[in-house]
Amino acid sequence: MSQIMENPKGGCVLAGINSVLGAIDKVCPIYHSGPGCCMQTTAADQGQSGHKSSCFVSSVSLPSSNMLEKEVVFGGLNKLRTTIQGAVDIIDADAYFVLTGCTAGIIGDDIVSVTTEFQEKGVPVYPIETPGFAGDSNLGYETVWNTFIDQVIEKDVPKDDKLVNIFGIVPYHDPFWSGALEEIDRILSRLGLKVNTFFTKGQGIETIRKCSGAALNIIINPWLFKGPSEKFEEKFGVPSIRIPGLFVGATDTTKFVRSVAEALKLDPKLVESVIESEEHYVYNYLAQSIGVLSWKRFAVVADANNAVGFTRYLANDYSFTPVLVIVSEPIFRPEDKERIIKQIEDLEYARPPKVLFLTDQFEINKAIREEEEEITLLIGSSNEREIAIEKDIQFILGAFPMSERLIFNRTYAGYRGSLTFTEDIYDNN
Amino acid sequence: MAVNLNNSNVATRENRIGSITGYVGTLKDLATQSECGTLKGCSRCFSQSSTCLSSCALGQLCGIRDVALIHHGPAGCSVAGAGAYYMAKVMSKKRGVTSDTIYVGTDMNENDTIFGSTNTLRNVILEVNKRYSPKAIFVSSSCATGIIGEDIDSIVDEVRDEVGVPIVAVHCEGFKSRIWATGFDISDHAVLQSIVKPPREGVKTNKINFKNFFESARPEIIEMFKNFDLDPVFLYCNSTVEELSHLSESLATTCICGTLGNYLGNTLEEKYGVPYVRSINQCGIEGFETWLREIGKVTGRSEKIEKYIEEQRAIYIPQIEEVKKELKGLTAVLGMGPGYTFEVSRVLNELGIKVVWALAWHYDKKYENGDVPPSMKYLLDNDIDFEASVADQQNYEVMNILHKYQPDMYLSRHPGSTVWAIKNGTPAIYVADEYMIFGYKHTLEFAKTIVDAIKNRSFEENLAKRSKLPYTDWWYKQDVDTFLEETK
Repeated sequence: MSQIMENPKGGCVLAGINSVLGAIDKVCPIYHSGPGCCMQTTAADQGQSGHKSSCFVSSVSLPSSNMLEKEVVFGGLNKLRTTIQGAVDIIDADAYFVLTGCTAGIIGDDIVSVTTEFQEKGVPVYPIETPGFAGDSNLGYETVWNTFIDQVIEKDVPKDDKLVNIFGIVPYHDPFWSGALEEIDRILSRLGLKVNTFFTKGQGIETIRKCSGAALNIIINPWLFKGPSEKFEEKFGVPSIRIPGLFVGATDTTKFVRSVAEALKLDPKLVESVIESEEHYVYNYLAQSIGVLSWKRFAVVADANNAVGFTRYLANDYSFTPVLVIVSEPIFRPEDKERIIKQIEDLEYARPPKVLFLTDQFEINKAIREEEEEITLLIGSSNEREIAIEKDIQFILGAFPMSERLIFNRTYAGYRGSLTFTEDIYDNN
Repeated sequence: MAVNLNNSNVATRENRIGSITGYVGTLKDLATQSECGTLKGCSRCFSQSSTCLSSCALGQLCGIRDVALIHHGPAGCSVAGAGAYYMAKVMSKKRGVTSDTIYVGTDMNENDTIFGSTNTLRNVILEVNKRYSPKAIFVSSSCATGIIGEDIDSIVDEVRDEVGVPIVAVHCEGFKSRIWATGFDISDHAVLQSIVKPPREGVKTNKINFKNFFESARPEIIEMFKNFDLDPVFLYCNSTVEELSHLSESLATTCICGTLGNYLGNTLEEKYGVPYVRSINQCGIEGFETWLREIGKVTGRSEKIEKYIEEQRAIYIPQIEEVKKELKGLTAVLGMGPGYTFEVSRVLNELGIKVVWALAWHYDKKYENGDVPPSMKYLLDNDIDFEASVADQQNYEVMNILHKYQPDMYLSRHPGSTVWAIKNGTPAIYVADEYMIFGYKHTLEFAKTIVDAIKNRSFEENLAKRSKLPYTDWWYKQDVDTFLEETK
């Protein structure tokens, strides 16, 4: 520790793991943890993500060993064994994953010994030995993929040169995740590609097992997934490209399309015709509402992925002036920070904004409160609404945690998402 | 009960009042067994999510205005609290007061679990005190800090003089109790230990402590109590530290939910002689009248109360009788905390709805004073019986019951629980607001809500047709108690 965290945005590793597994059809997490961890972690991510929770099992329906003092003292493996057996009996899942709570992690329960017993009987139960205190929701996303790479994804799957895997958008931890994945899927499908989003279209564990047959891994995030992508390439020979920020609007989305096209050497004629029709679609609408939105000087408080996307769209495509961008998720590697700053500062049209990395709400509020330049629009999470009211600036709820919006398939990403984003800026006036 | 306010630890409900979370049988058997002391709870060899007592404890405390909560644990533990904190902000806004209560985590990591972090905790406390100038500080533990044995009490003692405001350790190790309501007791204990003072001499008051969750019916209750010359002090949502310090001076303590209020009520009675109103709660007609009469008795205001009852009956009883015609013969399953389950069962019975199964998330055999909970006693005395079970919100048991009984409605006070009922095609009524069945007026509204919920079942039926639940066919054919086993 070492720090004061007022209102952390997101949960522990288990919250991230639960979010990812919960977004895959017919996959059942089993918690080997204290009695409160299922609810805490569900509340941390799914509970603050536009009121949408996992369809298959979530919160009260998650199997959990509910470790009590007895298990803390004597070990919890017997309770874990009967919990797994019960889960297999009553939950009709295609795969089960055992999660390690802080309690099980500290007392050192050997969960692998128990999951092995089940695997030997042919039951698909996989251990995830990363305890809650090891990190945050983002680490949970990487932990799940490391687990898949180590234990689930099959080798020697026939290659399909039209198949791509999408990484970098964390279900629930990004409230717009499903809409964003659907937009990405839509665009790439127009290029003749088959897309593994893993979390939409009812894709399940079978898709994951066979995803090593892909021609390309596309990471849509400025920093996440470094370790897993290297391991993926090493083990399955699938190369990766990194799109260093979620693309919002025609400029960046077209750049994304060209990057994918180049990596896969797609037919340039097809690619250009798709780009042309998509851009026309967007600008045909924008052209119908010129002058409807007043010009803004804006600030963004969001995770790196969305901070990059929002800032670049508003500054580069919509002539607004960026003032302050706060990346509000914990980022540790200096190289990652540099990459994020570069994306936010390297604007074709606007003067670069001030970029800060802050996770403590007190510091975030202070930075906005004390900003000397005028701000007339703030895009942030539910946690920033208060400071927006205090400063009397227009506020768009566009980032996690999101408690006051219902989000189904809405997204600000891609070609079409940028139109929704623009609509929302008007509606919130 | 003997309360020890010199120690920051509270015994769990299991150990203090014999509470259980595992039982399947009938209401009558449950009550009889607890009366004669033979009731033994079962444990489960398979379980689903329970809930962390820290959410209950810290959720209560962060409703108090202008205090600081420091959650010493991994960041994930502080998040649900942050939600409760957000709720508290909304609640203060709703009432038109301001609250600068702050909720911080210490973001404990792997290193801290090995080397400990008491030194840093000391710095965090001092920094929080400097940053926010709170009127009281609550320092909470978590599973992780509990297991590695962080000595939060000593740190709190060491910094007490320096911070200069009430500061107390709040022991919230989630593994301590399978009953999350223990968290309510923990919050009461912290308030009693650090904030409540002995009554000032010569202070006369007409205040009555009213322990509730979100004071959503505040104006209405203030208005009602004016008839009896009583002034309610709502706890803890939007309470000030100053108000809390004088709880010992009130005429009586009452609460909206016995599970929520019994530790505070009993302790104020035991330590300071403030009478605790023990009756069935305010839900429904019988409950409301019994409760009011008990308040009348305890505070010497029976005459005024009888007059009020008579006036209100004339307005509402005919209307309730009218709605009852539409409810006759309907069946219900309900799943709630024990402070509501057996109270709401009584109301459903009053409204002519047949309870086919009632689940209580836990069950207190005895209250702090050694009596069987009043709501149970009432049902027993009135010869009301139905199938009942005790389950810490075990969803698979709820679904098994709903699948077998196909009731006309499922009632729960927990939104996660109603979600699964709706997916099953069962109309569900989320008894979210604690005042939803309060008194004559809300009993009438509640009855109308039920009519609305069961008359148009389009969403439930259409959804159920198109969505598949995660449970196996095998499970639906099993008995509800399949995974229960004798506690060893």
